[in-house]
Amino acid sequence: MKDSLRWSYALNQWNLRLDAFVRHEDQQRALKTVSACGFDHIELASGTGRWDNISRPEVILLNHGSHQGFLDFLRTAKVQGVSSMFWDPQAPAEEEEGYAFRSTANPADSDAIVEWAKPFVDFVAGVGAEQLVVRPVGSAWMSPPLGEDGIKLVGEVWNRIGELTSAAGIGLALHYDCLGAVHTADELRGLLSATDPATVGFALDTAELTVGGIDPVAFYRENAERVTHVHLKDTRYADTGEEYRMPGAEATMLKGGAGRRIERWFFELGTEGGLVDVPAFVAALRENDYPGWVVVESDHGGNPAELAMLNSWYLQRVLGVTK
Amino acid sequence: MTWTKWSYMDHWVTETPQGPQPPSFNRAYMDRYVKQLSALGFTGFDTFFFYLHLLAGMYGSVPGFERFLQDNGFEKITGIFSAYPSATKWTAPHVRETHDRIVADCTNTLRMCEGLTGVENFIVMPTSTYYQTEPVTDDTIKVVADLWNRVGRLTLEHGMKTTCHFEFWGAIRTREQLDTFFRYTDPEYVYFFCDTAQHTIAGVDPIQMFRDYRDRCTGFHFKDTKNVDHHEAYRTPPDPELMAPQVTRWFYEMGEGGLVDFPALMKEIVRSGYDGWLTVEHDKAELGGGSYAEATAVAKWYIDNVLAEAQAEAEAEVAAR
Repeated sequence: MKDSLRWSYALNQWNLRLDAFVRHEDQQRALKTVSACGFDHIELASGTGRWDNISRPEVILLNHGSHQGFLDFLRTAKVQGVSSMFWDPQAPAEEEEGYAFRSTANPADSDAIVEWAKPFVDFVAGVGAEQLVVRPVGSAWMSPPLGEDGIKLVGEVWNRIGELTSAAGIGLALHYDCLGAVHTADELRGLLSATDPATVGFALDTAELTVGGIDPVAFYRENAERVTHVHLKDTRYADTGEEYRMPGAEATMLKGGAGRRIERWFFELGTEGGLVDVPAFVAALRENDYPGWVVVESDHGGNPAELAMLNSWYLQRVLGVTK
Repeated sequence: MTWTKWSYMDHWVTETPQGPQPPSFNRAYMDRYVKQLSALGFTGFDTFFFYLHLLAGMYGSVPGFERFLQDNGFEKITGIFSAYPSATKWTAPHVRETHDRIVADCTNTLRMCEGLTGVENFIVMPTSTYYQTEPVTDDTIKVVADLWNRVGRLTLEHGMKTTCHFEFWGAIRTREQLDTFFRYTDPEYVYFFCDTAQHTIAGVDPIQMFRDYRDRCTGFHFKDTKNVDHHEAYRTPPDPELMAPQVTRWFYEMGEGGLVDFPALMKEIVRSGYDGWLTVEHDKAELGGGSYAEATAVAKWYIDNVLAEAQAEAEAEVAAR
């Protein structure tokens, strides 16, 4: 994309389930799709194990020999590089103490989580990417409300990891998601206050904020200095009934297993009835000379290639970005 | 300059609330389909005669649909495909008594195209299945040729060239039969449409075919295959494309390791001076779990990267002459 903003595309939507996106030729087809849509950088998402071979630093390096080997693999499909990588330390991974369940909200887990971050920090720096994007805290339904002190404890873990990322020359961006224990705008402001602006940034996801009841345009304008990463996607729904507190909200809310039975919350740009004012948000980024990556993602909303093409159409024909 | 006249042949299937369906499922699905092709940079659109009524219903008229295409960066509808794959008592190109009915059908299709910007190709399957037509003699081919000479004269009056797209399972399939057919047809009225996979499966070299019939060639279907028909699958009733015992999927998109040498074809096209439309076709891409969306993106990636390079090499070669 030829634009003052830097555009990247998230590969997470291709990884539909744990054994579906493993063969290198399938990964090449996804990369070519992204490339044909005009994107020359990608965001990776963390995973676990032998089948997540484009999602775990250790396994990527095992598959491709080196950081350069992985970049060569991307460049075969004319994808030039990695913008960023997403990591959720709350998601159990066999590489991280054999599926240990740990949380940034538990001070006893802090050392282990900081240790777990190191392969990601090294990998992001090693492939020349810019941001380690992280889920700062687990789901709200899994623990009591954090309170101010709890949020400060979470912030302290990320300040420690922020020192690691800064030392490695990369950024750390805390990603808000609509099920997280940091949920309201005030809680989010609290987390940003509890972290060091010099080393810890904010990854603003337009759809996640909207589902969580926070206006992404207003929040961006209020916190533009802290926003170092963007996920751009749309939604047709807001969580108006505190469904995020339902037990098993990942399935009961996000997969429509209960509540209002909304089976799909996230949508491509330009979706009918979309709640995100994408043109206003992108205009705000431009007004602020936003320097980071804008990662377009569709987050398991249907056929990945169809959604990538629809997102590309929106960028070209609505936002006026030249491919 | 990279080839700008890339068209897409309308075979798409997408997931709908009622299962996998063509995008003509409803207007919203057609809109999404066109936007996806637009995002990749296609500027021409080829469709089938049997979709014209659906498109007219969804967009007010066929020109209304074309205006929607143009709002999305397309130039125009470039080709209309018409066919009688199964011979019937009423319609069979090798049966002279059915020709009036076929001409009447073509007239109806031409009427649906009135007001369009400039459809260039009226693409026809010249024959029905081999097994329904055989024995294929010189006389059989002469009867078929007479039909398309007649249709060619008619479509030319509407600005469209009747151009013949041969199937590996059609009654005219070998190089010898193709040559006979083109001898019996008038070069002013009947043209050649080169489907790279269909010819390859039938054991005909599509690049040599283009080289020999360059003056009559009005278009291409760029699609690939991994099999030549060595088992007379072309005689499998009623449909060799889906029922051949030895091959479950005949067609693939470019860049998947098939038999067609697309860079060589691209160079041949540049060297020949051909400057018309090139069309991407994905026929039955869903077989084996494939996705039309991904096949289309991957094919366009191949065009933008591999074929663009072949084109540039051939252009440099031509410029150096």
